[in-house]
Amino acid sequence: MKISKKIIDNLKKGGVDFYLSVPCKLLANMIDILENDKDVYYSAVPREEEGMGICAGAYLGNKFPCIMMQNTGIGNSVNAIVSLLQLYQMPVVFLISYRGTPGEPVGAQGGMAKITEDILQTLRIPMLHCSSENELDKISTFSKHAKVVESPVAILCDFNLMKEDK
Amino acid sequence: MNRFDLLNKVQNILKDNLVICNIGLPSQELYKISDQPNFFYMLGSMGLSSSIGLGLALSQNKHVISIDGDGSVLMNMNTLATIGNRAPSNYTLLIIDNGSYGSTGDQRTFTDEKTSLKDVALGAGCKNVVECSGEETVNELNKAIDDKDNSYVIISKINSGNVKIDPIPLNPITIRDRFRKFIGKVKYL
Repeated sequence: MKISKKIIDNLKKGGVDFYLSVPCKLLANMIDILENDKDVYYSAVPREEEGMGICAGAYLGNKFPCIMMQNTGIGNSVNAIVSLLQLYQMPVVFLISYRGTPGEPVGAQGGMAKITEDILQTLRIPMLHCSSENELDKISTFSKHAKVVESPVAILCDFNLMKEDK
Repeated sequence: MNRFDLLNKVQNILKDNLVICNIGLPSQELYKISDQPNFFYMLGSMGLSSSIGLGLALSQNKHVISIDGDGSVLMNMNTLATIGNRAPSNYTLLIIDNGSYGSTGDQRTFTDEKTSLKDVALGAGCKNVVECSGEETVNELNKAIDDKDNSYVIISKINSGNVKIDPIPLNPITIRDRFRKFIGKVKYL
């Protein structure tokens, strides 16, 4: 719970007040925290691409949105990221559980893991890769950066970092 | 009645609300009929009009109308489940259902065969789902906006067909900023 709490605290410190998720077991603690947080909006959504659209609308309405998802969700969302969030320069934080990184028990997750950072790089999305607890302190500044550069940004949280978060 | 006729009929209602308008001909036709700062024209991301409108309705109090098409809703059908479970009362989804992919040359969609978006929306949890003719759409839209306790999905069944039209000349950032300025969220313009 400590890691998840630290991530949410830092996102909130960075101004994020609207949260969506396509659930992942590594995000479960964060979802629990958000479901009990009266200060921010939270909902699950069925698909990441749809979530990008909802985040765009929330930004138009002056919220600062974050979508939490597995890295597989980036694959589901490329067109929405490019032709909506980037085209209209909308700041959105992607909080990504980085499935398929060392510690991952499911071999099939390795495929998207191998290309996740390449996709984000191709999309020119600023990345913050968190593999240890002390790196989580960078999340608030990094989130604010999304607003300054009017762009989506991606925070990648490694499997091994999240799996110990009991 | 085709989409252009329908947009002409509802333009006075749209003027008083926040509008998210579907990519391609719907946006181009609406722009030609009446360009307003409170109209957000989609220049990409086919399928997401309903989702953008939902996020906007959840984030502020003004009434939001998402103008969508049957082809676009078929592309993002999970949106109906999210709307059924989460849409606030200041949200109306207007699906212009002409049974065809208008912007790409009027190829038939599945709503022109067996699929009923009304049945899908009801099954997905949307409570107030209205299927109506183009002529009835003005009344149904007004009812939806006047009801301060419920969100609505209106499926307006019309004929296919488009008018010859140019792309929207507006820059995306112009569309974004004048829209946000209209709802009072941009101070620097």
